[in-house]
Amino acid sequence: MKAIEVKNLSKKYATVPALKDVSFSVDEGELFALLGPNGAGKTTLMRILTTQIDPTSGSAKVFGNDVRSQSGEVRSQVSYVPQEMSVWSDITAYENLLIYAKIYGIPAKKREDAIQSALKTMDLQNVSGRMVNTYSGGMVRKLEIASAIMVEPKIVFLDEPTIGLDPSARKTVWDKLRWLNRNKGTSVFFCTHYMDEADLYANEIGLISKGRLRKIGTAEELKSSVSNETITIEATGLDSGIVRGISGLPHITGARVTGKTLRIMAINSDEAINPVMNLLISTGVKVKSVSSSKPSMDDVFLKYTRGKGKEQETAIADIKRARDRIRKA
Amino acid sequence: MFDVKGSMRVITAMIELEVRRVMHDRTELYFRAVQPLLWLIVFGYIMGSLRAIPTGGIPYTDFILPGVIIQSATSVAIFFGLVIIWERESGVLKKLVAAPCPRFAIVVGRAMAAGVRALFQVLIILPIAVLLGVHVILNPLYLLAALAVVFISAGGFAGMSIWIASILKSRERFVGIGQVIIFPLFFASNALYPIATMPAILQWFSAINPMTYMVSATRALMITGDLSTIWIDMIAILAFDVFIFWLAARDFRQVIN
Ligand SMILES: Nc1ncnc2c1ncn2[C@@H]1O[C@H](COP(=O)(O)OP(=O)(O)O)[C@@H](O)[C@H]1O
Ligand SMILES: [Mg+2]
Repeated sequence: MKAIEVKNLSKKYATVPALKDVSFSVDEGELFALLGPNGAGKTTLMRILTTQIDPTSGSAKVFGNDVRSQSGEVRSQVSYVPQEMSVWSDITAYENLLIYAKIYGIPAKKREDAIQSALKTMDLQNVSGRMVNTYSGGMVRKLEIASAIMVEPKIVFLDEPTIGLDPSARKTVWDKLRWLNRNKGTSVFFCTHYMDEADLYANEIGLISKGRLRKIGTAEELKSSVSNETITIEATGLDSGIVRGISGLPHITGARVTGKTLRIMAINSDEAINPVMNLLISTGVKVKSVSSSKPSMDDVFLKYTRGKGKEQETAIADIKRARDRIRKA
Repeated sequence: MFDVKGSMRVITAMIELEVRRVMHDRTELYFRAVQPLLWLIVFGYIMGSLRAIPTGGIPYTDFILPGVIIQSATSVAIFFGLVIIWERESGVLKKLVAAPCPRFAIVVGRAMAAGVRALFQVLIILPIAVLLGVHVILNPLYLLAALAVVFISAGGFAGMSIWIASILKSRERFVGIGQVIIFPLFFASNALYPIATMPAILQWFSAINPMTYMVSATRALMITGDLSTIWIDMIAILAFDVFIFWLAARDFRQVIN
């Protein structure tokens, strides 16, 4: 069963297009990242999938249920953690979970267990009696995730789950989400504009910019689709004949010498390195050092979203949101 | 296919949320009690001693207590939209509309929650009024019925507040509107003077003013004990609530867009 199936989905706000003809699917049990710059349409897509807003055209299904015609079924299987703070700050953490447990209709007998186990999973048991307005940003996020997992959803949607958090809080949040994904089999669908998070934590990444899904695949697949790997060799005795010889070897797409540096572009550097070394040694070149680099998520991000987002706004928007969170917390 | 059980669940959870909030912080309720008490003590005493208003033999402070109570309860309610706007700016409403509960129940639940907050307000004012010498009918049944009238009246105004919040969406615009609604309705009702003393055009307006019926029902239950026309008041108040809830639920989607 597919957790998510989206076909030709488009969304316009008044006349402004936010999503254009998006199609993709996500398998059950995945940890899926929707990666893209600000304004790409990530939140819009997530809000359609959680039945908050209707698409303009196309269809979307969550665990086989249509978000429009079976929105009730969808809502009872998903949890949603919005980007903004979504807990009440003038009551305690425990009370927040209690109210949500009642809203979701967890039977009275199971309620206490559900609350305590969610608190325990998120390491909040000792602070559950505190008012939420005394919580740090990281604790608020953990409480939001606790409230999302308490209802045992089949899939959790998280919009920019670590925005405004410090590095250690970010790591905790990811450890918890990965634990949930692995041990409870909960599917996780998150939006982010942090490339490193998509790279590190997602099984699969969808790259989105300007309302279009540009590419979908594992981090490895995306990286190898971007560009070649580079082998850099420092050596003496290099000449243009050697460059021509290397260019003719398998797996190699190009080579260039600048002074004592030889740069080789390869489809797969691990496969290419042996023939290259053999050729260099046989022509009497003295090799001083060899290094290779693979394309990073930055390269992927740049290639598929270059000139298509509003990257200069990212930093400012981040700071502003972080402040908002603090002010409201 | 209306989900009655689910709706009741959500409405009671919303009311519980409000009770818990009030329990954590009651300062706002105390501050808000000052204004209605000033009405009662200052305005009530001065106008009463002038004997300018024919109240049918009832002491003037007794006459205006129901109006002051309804005014204060509906003021609490009309500002409830601010909570909705805060929840819209934060992610609470987004999370609620993605939860398995009917949107109608979210609206009615929040409105009734405001009704509960207004009740707490009245429970502060009422004992003080009694201590000040207002002759309130101390029959528990009448008192409970009066509190029920206050509750559904405030609920209706909170529904109106939620409806306004889904249209205005911004905090700044909202703050001014609250008083602009309550005070004209207050003055164009039977809260401070009998309808018969009003100019014709105000008499006409007071007949379609929901606050008139709220004050009239509260006055019958708390002060006069004359229940002969209370059924008209109850029909008017319930009709107002149903209409407002329908309107607010219809437009609630807008609040999150
Ligand atoms: N409620 C809305 N009304 C009008 N335009 C909107 C609304 N929400 C988002 N947009 C616009 O749609 C585009 C996509 O926004 P969004 O989905 O929030 O992107 P992201 O989450 O990737 O930053 C942006 O250009 C944004 O300005
Ligand atoms: Mg977003």
